[in-house]
Amino acid sequence: MSFLSISNAIKTFGTNTVVKGFDLSVEKGEFVSFLGPSGCGKTTVLRMIAGFDRPTSGNITIDGRDVTDLAPNKRRIGMVFQAYALFPNMNVFGNIAFGLKIAGLGKAETEARVKEMLALIGLSHLEERYPYELSGGQQQRVALARALAPKPQVLLLDEPLSALDAKIRVSLREEIRAIQRQLGITTVFVTHDQEEAMSISDRIVVMNGGRADQIGTPSAIYNRPSTRFVAGFVGTLNVLKARVDRRNAQTVTIGGKTVQLAQPVESADAQGNLSLALRPEALSLLPSDLRDVTFDGIVKSVSFMGSVIRIRMDVGDEAISFDMFNSPNLVAPLIGQKASAHFASSDIFELSA
Amino acid sequence: MTLDASAPSADLGAPIPRTSGLRMIGWNWLGVTPFFLFAFLFLIGPVLYLVAGAFQNAEGAFTFDNIIALGSPNIVASFSLSIRLSLLSALMGAVAGLLLGHAVILGGLPVWVRNAFTTFSGVASNFAGVPLAFAFIATLGRLGLVTVLLRDLFGFNLYATGFNLFSFVGLSIVYLYFQLPLMFLIIAPALDGLKTEWREAAEILGASRRQYWQMVGLPVLTPTILGCFLLLFANAFGTLATVYALMGSGFDVVPIVLFQQIRGNVLYNPNLGYALALGMVAIMGVSNTLYLILRNRAERWQK
Amino acid sequence: MKKRFPFAAVLMALFGASFFIVPLIATFYFSLKMTRGELGFAAYASVFNSADFLNTILYSTIASLIAILIGAIIIVPTAYWVRLKVPKLRPVVEFISLLPLIVPPVVLVFGYIRLFGSNSWLPLTASTFGTDVLLVVGYVVLSMPYMFRAVDNGMAAIDISTLTEAAESLGASRLRTITTVIFPNVRAAIISGAFLTFSISVGEFVLASLLNRPAFGPYLVQLGQDRAYEPAALAIMSFGFIWGCMVLMQMFATRKPGQRWLLRLTTRPAQRARP
Repeated sequence: MSFLSISNAIKTFGTNTVVKGFDLSVEKGEFVSFLGPSGCGKTTVLRMIAGFDRPTSGNITIDGRDVTDLAPNKRRIGMVFQAYALFPNMNVFGNIAFGLKIAGLGKAETEARVKEMLALIGLSHLEERYPYELSGGQQQRVALARALAPKPQVLLLDEPLSALDAKIRVSLREEIRAIQRQLGITTVFVTHDQEEAMSISDRIVVMNGGRADQIGTPSAIYNRPSTRFVAGFVGTLNVLKARVDRRNAQTVTIGGKTVQLAQPVESADAQGNLSLALRPEALSLLPSDLRDVTFDGIVKSVSFMGSVIRIRMDVGDEAISFDMFNSPNLVAPLIGQKASAHFASSDIFELSA
Repeated sequence: MTLDASAPSADLGAPIPRTSGLRMIGWNWLGVTPFFLFAFLFLIGPVLYLVAGAFQNAEGAFTFDNIIALGSPNIVASFSLSIRLSLLSALMGAVAGLLLGHAVILGGLPVWVRNAFTTFSGVASNFAGVPLAFAFIATLGRLGLVTVLLRDLFGFNLYATGFNLFSFVGLSIVYLYFQLPLMFLIIAPALDGLKTEWREAAEILGASRRQYWQMVGLPVLTPTILGCFLLLFANAFGTLATVYALMGSGFDVVPIVLFQQIRGNVLYNPNLGYALALGMVAIMGVSNTLYLILRNRAERWQK
Repeated sequence: MKKRFPFAAVLMALFGASFFIVPLIATFYFSLKMTRGELGFAAYASVFNSADFLNTILYSTIASLIAILIGAIIIVPTAYWVRLKVPKLRPVVEFISLLPLIVPPVVLVFGYIRLFGSNSWLPLTASTFGTDVLLVVGYVVLSMPYMFRAVDNGMAAIDISTLTEAAESLGASRLRTITTVIFPNVRAAIISGAFLTFSISVGEFVLASLLNRPAFGPYLVQLGQDRAYEPAALAIMSFGFIWGCMVLMQMFATRKPGQRWLLRLTTRPAQRARP
């Protein structure tokens, strides 16, 4: 039984259709991320859930109740904005207490609840501070506490970490997820950062051009992307031009080399050309029994990225990139050196659409 | 850091010499000397001279007599008149400017309306003084267009109600013509600065429109509104040409009184003049300082 | 939120607009009524034919232009120096530049008359020329806040210190830097400040009246006492003049260095694609 459901939502601004038919069912307590590039419509859908934008057509239901026509201030939703949006004329206490005050909660209860929230976000000592005296990360935590204080039924977060430094982003997203788990609140999280989405979500909705390209767990999205866009957007991808053998749909030629695939291809065009995808981690400089395909080529660039070393290789007229784990005893290949990349034929997959 | 021996080296020549400490300071201060000289000679000097003179009598001895003379009924009446007029004008300007600003910027009107008002305000806020007085005489004077139209079209005799352009109320209406644009121009950025996210955040937390304005919108705007009120007050207090052109020399606001003193049209007491000047500068100084403080407070919140 | 037709906003905007426009219409209408029974431009003709009008406006224009020149000469190097060499003095300079806003003109001229009067250490008011000097100086002081802000903003927009460093690293002397790099880039800001100064000074009344100089402001007041229709005509002309100044001021304030004045009618050879 879904707690939050959006059915066939369409949103048009003037002549521009930003959301072209969006369906989603979110379970109670689930953490769902909307992932996609700017302009894909993810924020618009979020705003429709919140009630700031009215769907041109379609319905939104929360806990069995149709809220499509309900004003935002009656939906009992909590929202965290990208720019924090803390009220500048109130201190931390005042901000967190705002929703409670509107709801008419008594003084004692308000105070107890605010203190509870402050403890949850670990900022009890900053109760008296004003927003301009807080760092970005602190402001965002206060914004989260403010949203959660009135015990909303759904929590919405609109790219809450985009304005923060990289290190804070990582620690704060863990914190958000931990709090969400503790409270068991149904949550929708909008982001353009795929690493962010994958690390903390129960499910991800990958959006592209106003539609949901794929909805699934992070692992499903990464390992079995259903469209080329999803495959390219989530993680790095090597896209190789291949040609299928007319007689055997399981045999393809890539860069002059013949490869036997685990399954027959389906998406070749009339001339037999198609695109195949290969994740960098499937490739290795070291041969093994499982890796039954070998590409020989010339190393084009070697980038030291900390824990991994990213190698780009020219194989015929294709370029592939893959990562090697860095280790102190490792000798990285030199540019211009001949090298061989090994991978398992079962790791190649087709890209549809 | 060592250079790679194999890289080609260029002869960059001798480094640019740094001037030694003392000479550098001298050169730097020279650059701003004309400004300070000018300011002291023609701005700070004269004002200080007046301030000093306020505490001296005709022989040059120190005295509080002039300050005490400020307490004489005529002078008190003048200051009272000036302050009352300035307060009324500032209040009218602040309220009208806020309402107009809200309507034009936040009211959902097309952008060209805002631009038109902004451009016009830039002109109107400078259209003070003599021409403005003429314009209002042609509008609301006894034979002014509006007066005549009200009488001929609506049978409404404006002057029969006791209204007179050449009065306290009439003058404050004339002042509004340059006060309202000034308020509009200053409040516009502040209204822009009311982030839409605040309104949305308030809304999602359950607030109605009224509650948002009451608990967030107006409180955030208050420093700017108050500051602007003070600016309008100071602006009205110092106005002379408009009053003079409209009322002649008979309307005893403080600037006019000082004007008459200088002209020598009344018993010429320069030391009293100094005291008047001191009073004016003090009032203007205090209100402008408060304005700056409030403006800084508002800017700090908008971050 | 449902969108309602903004009745209140429209009403308020209309009210504001009419408050602004009605006096202008009334004045213009009044100015056309000089010839009994018909509407005509007799009032305007009368103004332009008046020797007093021409003399006073000439006097005020010249005084304003000199004030602009002096203001620029004092303020531009100062703004430059403060930005570049003595940023610590910046608050002081800014404060002083804003002082004229709290000193009403009547107080300022009073100070001049006492400090530079016939019995003082520098009796400027004793001679006509000296009094003219005081008047011009007064205009410079009154326009200082606006002039300084305009020039300062112009310099802020082009990052003076980096430009200076670039010029000096390429070998330019300080003087050359100022004339060939800094000045052309702040020229527009200076002109913008100049127009504002111009609009303030031309119709200025208090200084001119108390220093007894034949400027435009006192002429206007005198005319207001003597005549009925010409003042209305002058009010309209004043408004138009201020409008023109503001438009030009805005135009120069937003102009980027190097922008064309008018559209080019032909392309220069260098702009055509090279083979």
